Amino acid sequence: MNPQTRRTLEFILDNLAWFMLLFVLAAFSLLVPNYFQPGIFANIVEASSVLGVMSIGLALVIIAGHMDLSVESVAALSAMTVGIIFCSAGIGRGVELQPDWLATPVSLVLAILVGGAVGAINGVLIVKLKMNAFIVTLASYIWVRGIVLAISGGSSAQDLAPAIRWFGITRLLGLPLTAWLAILCFVAFSFVMARTRFGRHLIIIGGNENAAFRAGIKVDRILISAFVLAGSIAGLAGWLLAIRTSGATANLGIGLLFNAFAAVVIGGVSLKGGVGALPGVYAGVLLLSSINTAINLMGLPATFTQLIHGLLVLAAVLLDAFKLQLRQKLA
Amino acid sequence: MTAFEPLLVLDDIRKNYGAIEALKGISFAIGKGEVVALLGDNGAGKSTLVKIISGGLEPTSGRMLFEGREWLAKSPSEAKAAGIETVYQDLSLATNVDVVANFFMGRELTRRILGIPVLDEKAMEDVVAKALANAGTRIPSLRTKVEHLSGGQRQAIELNRFVHWGGKLVLLDEPFAALGVEQTRRGLDMIRAVASQGIGVVIITHIMQQAFQVADRMVVIRQGVVAGDVATKDTSPDAVIRMITGETLAAAGAAG
Repeated sequence: MNPQTRRTLEFILDNLAWFMLLFVLAAFSLLVPNYFQPGIFANIVEASSVLGVMSIGLALVIIAGHMDLSVESVAALSAMTVGIIFCSAGIGRGVELQPDWLATPVSLVLAILVGGAVGAINGVLIVKLKMNAFIVTLASYIWVRGIVLAISGGSSAQDLAPAIRWFGITRLLGLPLTAWLAILCFVAFSFVMARTRFGRHLIIIGGNENAAFRAGIKVDRILISAFVLAGSIAGLAGWLLAIRTSGATANLGIGLLFNAFAAVVIGGVSLKGGVGALPGVYAGVLLLSSINTAINLMGLPATFTQLIHGLLVLAAVLLDAFKLQLRQKLA
Repeated sequence: MTAFEPLLVLDDIRKNYGAIEALKGISFAIGKGEVVALLGDNGAGKSTLVKIISGGLEPTSGRMLFEGREWLAKSPSEAKAAGIETVYQDLSLATNVDVVANFFMGRELTRRILGIPVLDEKAMEDVVAKALANAGTRIPSLRTKVEHLSGGQRQAIELNRFVHWGGKLVLLDEPFAALGVEQTRRGLDMIRAVASQGIGVVIITHIMQQAFQVADRMVVIRQGVVAGDVATKDTSPDAVIRMITGETLAAAGAAG
């Protein structure tokens, strides 16, 4: 094989999720009536904001060789916190700030802090007490949802303050600010992973934690930061979720975790750690979103969505194994 | 050899695990630029000794002098900072990143763009290219992930990295266990090249032929004591095997 073909093949393998996305979009545009419109594409991007942001945090932790099952419940807790404080109906307290534009930054910071706090608990238990990440975050998945239920009493908060809701309504170049925030997060964290020492160390830890430690990398500190980041980002996703639903319900966001997993795996992140990049994850998120949109447009019952997502994850894992074989041949 | 300049001196090192004495008073020295083969049967205490030197274990008693100063590493990273490192097969490389990232692991160069420290890939690649070229190691592309490289190339990266970052004493645990004939030959050459820069090398191996090819001196550990310490040129494989199996203690303490 000459170097040129080899490089082309490597490029395709590295960006497989994007090629899959293009392929799926082209196929749907041809086959599904009314699919090919700017409005539909904008909708795909818009609908993927919450999932997209959540997937970033999950991807960071998985790339570092760990796991965070709690992101979904953390997002719900942040959304409920914002909902209870800034909603005016249901269990909302309708707190108003002076001047009222303060509501947006204050609610945002609050959502991120709530998420970061849960992430810090996860991180300390896993890294300092050497507990298994799967079990610790599974426990958090349950107890954090438990707090959501407890503070809401099972009821919902509605009518989010307009001072916050404008963020989901205002559009810039056809996309709501929520979608731009998700895109901004992907750009920022892609940069962090690819171009900074923190990102490089996270990837090395995911590949060989022992080697990283022996090379003097502060493994504990970086891993705890990754969990805090995953929690904070999940909190941000919760903030977007509260804006999108203009409030919060006790069962808000249930099922998002598995979609986030699907997006991360489809995006080329290996569950064994150390492999994957965030742009691919965004392609995975958009891919799931475009399939959902197609299902809606074709008028298929929404129950099919889950079936198709499941098959897609399986396909992604198969593809991952296939890619590995191909890469070994390239080497 | 010219005047023997000790790099690391071990003086009556003992290690007990409860009532069991793993090391019963080990004393020998490793000189600058010297390759010492550490030999011994399974369970003789080689690994325990290596861990004590490289900070993985603390001795029960005894003392060490490193470059003439009292030395005791509390952790592998402390030992590493002082210039003592154990290179295990594959254990200190991250195979999921490229050669450059491995070479600079934990010491990445950055430059500021808009005040943000960003990895300076170009500068790092230049340094690695120069370091590998000086050592005569050829690796097709420095941007290849290490998982695609051969065992010999991986070892070359580890050793060159060690030398580049100011290593003084390297401990190699079964360095050629997984290598082919040609790779092993190159590995042995590389060890001589490393030693010729004044670095002390301790090589632990079971393969007598390799020990005789590369080492200046043989130190045999048997049941927690030094059963032999002889210059390679003054001994033979048969004699060393007799020391390992315990048929003779005649050569104990002959050198040093």
